[in-house]
Amino acid sequence: MGLLDYLKKIEPDKKKSPFLHTLFDGFFTFLYTPETVTKSGSHLRDGMDLKRTMIHVVIGLQLCYLFGTYNVGHQHFVAMGEYLGILEGFHLKLAHGLIKMLPLFIIANLVGLGIEFWYAAKRGHAIEEGYLVTGALIPLIMPPDLPIWILVLSIIFAVVICKEAFGGTGMNIWNIALMSRMFVFFAYPTTISGDEVWVSGFEALREGAATSYGYGHSIFNWLFGILDIPQFTAGTVVDGYSGATPLSLAYQGGWEAVTAAYTTTEMWWGMIPGSIGETCKPFIIAGALFLIVTGIASWRIMLSMVVGAATMALLLNAWGATPFMDVPWYYQFYMGSFFFAMAFMATDPVTAASTNTGKIAYGFLIGFIGMIVRVLNPAYPEGWMLAIIFMNTFAALLDRLVIDTHISKRLKSA
Amino acid sequence: MELVNVFLKAAFIENLILSYFLGMCSFLAVSKTVKTAFGLGLAVIFVLGITMPINWLIYTFLLSEGGLIGMDLTFLRLILFIAVIASMVQLVEMVIEKVSPALYNSLGIFLPLITVNCAILGGSLFMVSREYNFSESVAFGLGGGFGWFLAIVALAAIREKIRYSKVPAPLRGLGMAFILTGLMGMAFLSLLGIDPAAF
Repeated sequence: MGLLDYLKKIEPDKKKSPFLHTLFDGFFTFLYTPETVTKSGSHLRDGMDLKRTMIHVVIGLQLCYLFGTYNVGHQHFVAMGEYLGILEGFHLKLAHGLIKMLPLFIIANLVGLGIEFWYAAKRGHAIEEGYLVTGALIPLIMPPDLPIWILVLSIIFAVVICKEAFGGTGMNIWNIALMSRMFVFFAYPTTISGDEVWVSGFEALREGAATSYGYGHSIFNWLFGILDIPQFTAGTVVDGYSGATPLSLAYQGGWEAVTAAYTTTEMWWGMIPGSIGETCKPFIIAGALFLIVTGIASWRIMLSMVVGAATMALLLNAWGATPFMDVPWYYQFYMGSFFFAMAFMATDPVTAASTNTGKIAYGFLIGFIGMIVRVLNPAYPEGWMLAIIFMNTFAALLDRLVIDTHISKRLKSA
Repeated sequence: MELVNVFLKAAFIENLILSYFLGMCSFLAVSKTVKTAFGLGLAVIFVLGITMPINWLIYTFLLSEGGLIGMDLTFLRLILFIAVIASMVQLVEMVIEKVSPALYNSLGIFLPLITVNCAILGGSLFMVSREYNFSESVAFGLGGGFGWFLAIVALAAIREKIRYSKVPAPLRGLGMAFILTGLMGMAFLSLLGIDPAAF
């Protein structure tokens, strides 16, 4: 217990230096359970506090991080027409992925946690751990080449307007990670939609454009030179490469256009351009199962969301007015970010409906509306972010309806 | 099918309150509890649904050049539309006072103020500028009213929920309602751009 004694000794005074105390408290509760206990009202005895709940989600995301980082590099080399096999040029792909991924991750967490610390000191409460998950989610839903200043602006918007204004962790109405993406989506649309943004490391994504390598690449080149293995060499985008995502291909030419560019195996295992963490379906499903088994995320929302999306896709199949509507309903799940949204976004316990019946309706409507936006709305390529934000608006109303019907039913039978 | 398109477009895609910001005053003031918001929302659906076809009849048969009078009197449309809306609101007010005095009291001044609710007059003017026919104007009135109803009830549910949040003191009440309205408008952007007639 030497460490605990030592930590207690260096604990800053709360009155004299509130900021230092908040900082200390934040890291102290990582190591030890706080000694404050609930004194009144109903209480539940469980070791599962907020911090541990959040850490479970972060653990569930790890596979997406690993694959996402590697895929950023893989897509870069596919665009150059080099190392086409998934495991060829492993160290180069990983290095390129890290160069793109680490700044996003570090900046997202620095900015978000900075705001969080500042508010905690200002408003005199302990640091709330809600940002851990948001900070882990945000890099995964952004394109790899996103300018850092846009990322910073979007996080400031999401954390200050959508979270701190509502009273901090657990009080927000809209999903914070999605709100930051929504901000980028509407304020700087060219950086996050279209075919050109999902593959990184080029001056522009068109035939013959040169690679743009920075300091990170020179450092890795120096390292690879010492190890005597292949280094980054300047190249150009190979002829005939468009970088179009399956969804934009499907919008133009239906399922034939998609399968002409990508095989179903590639789509299922995620070797396609897209947001960093969304592409690999099996790893996301593994994360989703982990969350269900540990009881963090609601299986009701996930299941009803799949049912809702499948229902709408079947209806669209029956309608069949455009090539996109004719895509077989089960192949709709191969494209885009359905599983990522289902596993990590829709199930956010704060912004989802909290009654069981409400959860089922909430998930179903997300699936339903998301598919409508994806297939019918020419303005947006993918629908899940928008559908989830839309249904977050109505989550409180759904809960209210469920509770009201329940009360009136009980009153009648009483 | 055409009517369904007009209804869906008015309710979700071009929502009167969240895309055009019409009817803002009662939207912010009467959204404190779901119960009153529900009542006011129903009243707006009713008034919009009734006044649109009446205004359409008046506009087509009295005011426009091909009408019964045979003169172009469209410059009178603002006055006549307002008169129709005001008399309809009077009717609604009497019905609500009779049927549910509690709701009547909680709506207070905002019930007669539907008369000058910009969503209602705006609906009638949209009807004129978009050249809807009779059945389309009914669908547009009901759709627009339904969209307004949905928005105010959702806002009220959220405001009931955040009553238990630690909202910073300066933002409590109206400040939060403004932020919520803005963010709700952003959420409703998801359906903007769908053109039901294109398929």
